[in-house]
Amino acid sequence: MSTSFDPTTARANVAFRQVGKPLARTDAPGKAIGRTPYAGDYVMPGMLHAKVLRSPLPSARLVKLDVRKARALPGVVAVLTARELPDRLAPTDIPGQTGQARLKTDQQILVRERVRYHGEPLALIAAESPDIAEHAMKLIEYKLEPLPAVFDPEEALRPGAPIVQGTDNVVARHAINKGDVAAGFAAADVVVERTYRTQFIEHAFLEPEVGLAWIDENDVVNIRVSTQVIEHFRFIADAIGVPHNKVRIMGALVGGGFGGKEDITVEVYLALLAKFTHRPVRLEFTREDSFMGHGKRHPFILRYKTGVKRDGKITALEVRLISDAGAYVFLSPYVLLYGTIAAPGPYLIENLKVDAVSVATNNMYTSAFRGFGSAQACVAYEQQMDEIAKTLGIDRLELRRRNYLKTGEPTATGFPPPSAIWTERCADLAWQALGEKTKAKGAVRIGRGLAAYQQSYGRLTFLHDTSEGWVGVEVDGTVVVRSGVTDIGAGQVSALAQIAVEILGVTLDNVVVYNSDSAVTPLAGTTTATRALYMTGNAVRVAAEAVRNRLAARAAKAFGVAAEDVVLADNKVTAASRSDKSMGFAELVRLCASEGIQRSELAIFRAPFTDRLDPVTGQGQAYPDFTYGAHAIEVAVDTETGEVSVLKSVACHDVGQCINPAAVEGQIEGGAAQGQGYALSEEMIYRDGRLMTPSFSEYLIPTAMDVPVVKSIILESRSGLGPFGAKGIGEPALTPVAPAIANAVADAIGQRIFDLPITPEKIVRALNGI
Amino acid sequence: MPKKKASRKPMPKDRALALRVNGRTVEVEIPPHRTLLEALRDTGFVDVKRGCEKGDCGACAVLIDGVAVDACLTLAWTVEGRDIVTAAGLGTHENMHPLQKTFVEKGAIQCGYCTPGLIVAAQSLISMTPNPSEEDIRVGLSGNLCRCTGYAKVFEAVREAAAEVRNQRSRR
Amino acid sequence: MYATFDLDRPGDLAGALALLKAKGAVALAGGTNLIVDVRAGRENPRRVVSLDKLDSLRGIRQAGGKVAIGGRTTVTDLLRSPIIAKTAPALVESARQFAGQMVRNTATVAGNIACGSPAADLVPPLFALDAELTLASPRGQRTVPIASYFTGYKKDVRRPGELITRISWKAPPPRSRALFYKLARRKGDAITVVGVAVALDIERGICRRARIALGAVAPTVFRAREAEAMLEGQTLTPALIESAAKAAAAAARPIDDVRASAAYRRHGVHVLVRRLLGQAWEQLS
Repeated sequence: MSTSFDPTTARANVAFRQVGKPLARTDAPGKAIGRTPYAGDYVMPGMLHAKVLRSPLPSARLVKLDVRKARALPGVVAVLTARELPDRLAPTDIPGQTGQARLKTDQQILVRERVRYHGEPLALIAAESPDIAEHAMKLIEYKLEPLPAVFDPEEALRPGAPIVQGTDNVVARHAINKGDVAAGFAAADVVVERTYRTQFIEHAFLEPEVGLAWIDENDVVNIRVSTQVIEHFRFIADAIGVPHNKVRIMGALVGGGFGGKEDITVEVYLALLAKFTHRPVRLEFTREDSFMGHGKRHPFILRYKTGVKRDGKITALEVRLISDAGAYVFLSPYVLLYGTIAAPGPYLIENLKVDAVSVATNNMYTSAFRGFGSAQACVAYEQQMDEIAKTLGIDRLELRRRNYLKTGEPTATGFPPPSAIWTERCADLAWQALGEKTKAKGAVRIGRGLAAYQQSYGRLTFLHDTSEGWVGVEVDGTVVVRSGVTDIGAGQVSALAQIAVEILGVTLDNVVVYNSDSAVTPLAGTTTATRALYMTGNAVRVAAEAVRNRLAARAAKAFGVAAEDVVLADNKVTAASRSDKSMGFAELVRLCASEGIQRSELAIFRAPFTDRLDPVTGQGQAYPDFTYGAHAIEVAVDTETGEVSVLKSVACHDVGQCINPAAVEGQIEGGAAQGQGYALSEEMIYRDGRLMTPSFSEYLIPTAMDVPVVKSIILESRSGLGPFGAKGIGEPALTPVAPAIANAVADAIGQRIFDLPITPEKIVRALNGI
Repeated sequence: MPKKKASRKPMPKDRALALRVNGRTVEVEIPPHRTLLEALRDTGFVDVKRGCEKGDCGACAVLIDGVAVDACLTLAWTVEGRDIVTAAGLGTHENMHPLQKTFVEKGAIQCGYCTPGLIVAAQSLISMTPNPSEEDIRVGLSGNLCRCTGYAKVFEAVREAAAEVRNQRSRR
Repeated sequence: MYATFDLDRPGDLAGALALLKAKGAVALAGGTNLIVDVRAGRENPRRVVSLDKLDSLRGIRQAGGKVAIGGRTTVTDLLRSPIIAKTAPALVESARQFAGQMVRNTATVAGNIACGSPAADLVPPLFALDAELTLASPRGQRTVPIASYFTGYKKDVRRPGELITRISWKAPPPRSRALFYKLARRKGDAITVVGVAVALDIERGICRRARIALGAVAPTVFRAREAEAMLEGQTLTPALIESAAKAAAAAARPIDDVRASAAYRRHGVHVLVRRLLGQAWEQLS
């Protein structure tokens, strides 16, 4: 693969028919007319309705739990407490693995004795109607005795702190020790030290967690559920004590995930109730349940110490990270690792020391959220770059130019990404596209900011990630794709359709994709870690190519040409060199079928397999590859009220190759809105561990009145590892936005608010000393 | 819930009434506290989505006599006799409403969960304000939360559909 | 939602008032507060009296110099009314930012007043209009100035079983300006952090009537009367406006909550009163 990735030649000689076109997504029409079923739309005759009773205290001993009155209520079929459950825990570590050694992280399914967070489940109810289940909840009597608690990760590290997990509340540590930071700092002309803080964030997907479970005639637990991960059947089976092949997960199109449906949510409760009652059971979280029922984005404390020469060249970087893991471990060790690796940003830093720790507290547990630690790191490293530029008196973009990681250079873990690194180009284009600066007026000041980033796509390579996919052609020339992939809204399914039809030369109206059923669709792995297009797209590509090759070979025989000469396009088969030869695609398929030529293929795609990183140096390959880009922002800040308006928003990303440009823009626009919320208005507030923002009235995501127009500049280096040279865009679309906004606000008001969200009040306090 | 069997006694306070939904009559037997959201979903109108049940998100928006309301804040008894239209009632695969068409074409749908409520709100907006400005569209949709799209393509879709509806009207 | 109330849908006002005499009976207008409160367990009525059939209580009329709106008029009705646009621009500005479209299509003016929240957005503009409320009961009706209606946090002079059937005000004179600003944590569909309505009537360069109504910064919406008194009879200078703004801020009794601190709210009052008075005066000059 070329290491120059010249942008002027990258798109030469590429003539896709389906890929690269903003085709209407295959799932869009059904959604537009309201016919697409989501997991909550499935019902079964005789199904029961479930509810979860939750602890109102964050740290307590359960001294009494009396469910007799609830059980006695007519229409209540079951009330389960920890007493009725076998002594089993629900695994909570990284999902979808096929055999790597797991971290030992579990959560009690229902509270036995000790409550560790506000909302921890105490009991499950199943009743004939939702009304009866809700009534029954009110009849459960319980007594909780408050226990000493800790809500601050730094406090939780101190000797004598209440222990929430393990022996010292440390749930993970990671480190990078690269080069010689002491020498680097000695060589520096200036040292810039700052601390950045980020907050708890809620995914706020519009569809709350929901599922329906039933036991079928083979004693298999079937669960229809809104999830990002159908491979959870393994964890669920372990939690309820059945073999793995006795749990079937049927996903549905998911009403938003963003990492919040990456862990198990309702599945174990449903499985237990279905087994106990021998009836189908439905459980739908209320929005309040949802706020308390899945892990949040980790708050991070990020301490950055950068040594830099007068000309801006960074000579050393020392980073200390602390993340709040909340009450249970979940994916905290991995989020911490991502943050550790991402800590320096898209820059070449030869002397690097990162020390990172994730700490348990009695706050809500934290887990996966779009960006997964890399987003938090970007909040810090891009604000740090602006702080350095200000200290040195160097232009902010120029400082970055003097430090960018370039194609072929090694990242923090010593691994050179295999693809193009176009950060500088993206940053310059995004910045230029801001155009003329809006004029300031009265108390309103205008500011501009930029953030560049590096975001991995594909999972950690020591997880040995694989994905399987199946492609087949029917005798009438229509195409079927089967993939376990879950579609969480970004068009995961439609992308597979576009890839298959591109390779087979049919049109998008001739393909149907079946997805996310652990019993009948090949397991494709999780829709997480910006891996779906890379992994599942490649699996389908490999399968489609195999089918194509068999079909083309037969056509070649029929046409009397070489196989390479056969062209499949527009539902027809032709020969490049013989204009008199042609047949319909369906005709070719029927011919193959009659001769017993296999018309389908099950393929497996493997990401690079590596060992874990060195535990001391942190060196090694961590990911398959990275996406690079930047986001530029212009804000208006009312210095008297503190209100911030985002006026201009420009994204520039190298996505390798668009499968669907409209879908890529959609990710960018959605990521821009999420990033804006992250920077300015969103915060899950826990006071002494209790959630103070339990609904969308207190937890404020951007509305239609809050967002600016977003301009997307999409570059295609065709250097990615995904199908046709694609990279990933899911997480990258979000990662640079909040720091770009933070930088713009700092530019506007001349000082920096170091902790997100940047609220009007924080701005007013900084400027007016109120 | 599926229609009750004849042998089961109705719950106290349940009353039989007829709701008029998407042009047809739906018989229900429900108590006074049953919200329109619950009643509609229980009778199969599952395009009306549950998102928050307190009027914060707009996912449950339906048209009552052409005007968008949150079904979660409406007691079903109080809309007996009114004309209720859900997103699915606005068009079909073969005969899409202009909004459904433009939402598809402009890529304004990602996970799609907020889409029915958005389309209902947009239809209500367009019927009240046939030539909505950018600001009108933003204000008209501020009660519909979307977490996937950032609203950008939604605005484009609504603008174009409004134009199409005006064209259709002027052609009549 | 689980609840246990009975529901009636009376066909006329007399029928509604008769039903509301019963213990544990509450009126249901738009439902955008009541349903939320019932679901959350904050309200547990025995009987709900729906006003959905009382079309006579909905409507906007202007006769002579007086504007009257029925209690069941919705927020959207306000936005679409030429009468309101002409006589109550601050009310329009408030209505425009009121929640989201579906709530605006449903929520009623009477309901927004009756819910008693100091953050109720329609109330400050109505204060600035010197609006009057007509309260109806089986015994008849009475009129209460809105400025006397609230007596404490979620406390008012409405007697059990009374309904707010009409809100009325004198159309402002030609040389008059009313402005409203809503300070909140996001632009769309947000609960107000500081709500300010100001109104100035001037005559021959002198301020004849000044109204400064503040929302979300005290247990009730209230008028900053000391600040108003500073302005009436005067020509407004920047220094005078600043003094009035300071006085208004001093009169506020805000709280700390998840949205903002009391200090920020007080600061917001100062800034916004100063700004709106300045803008109104400039537009009139």
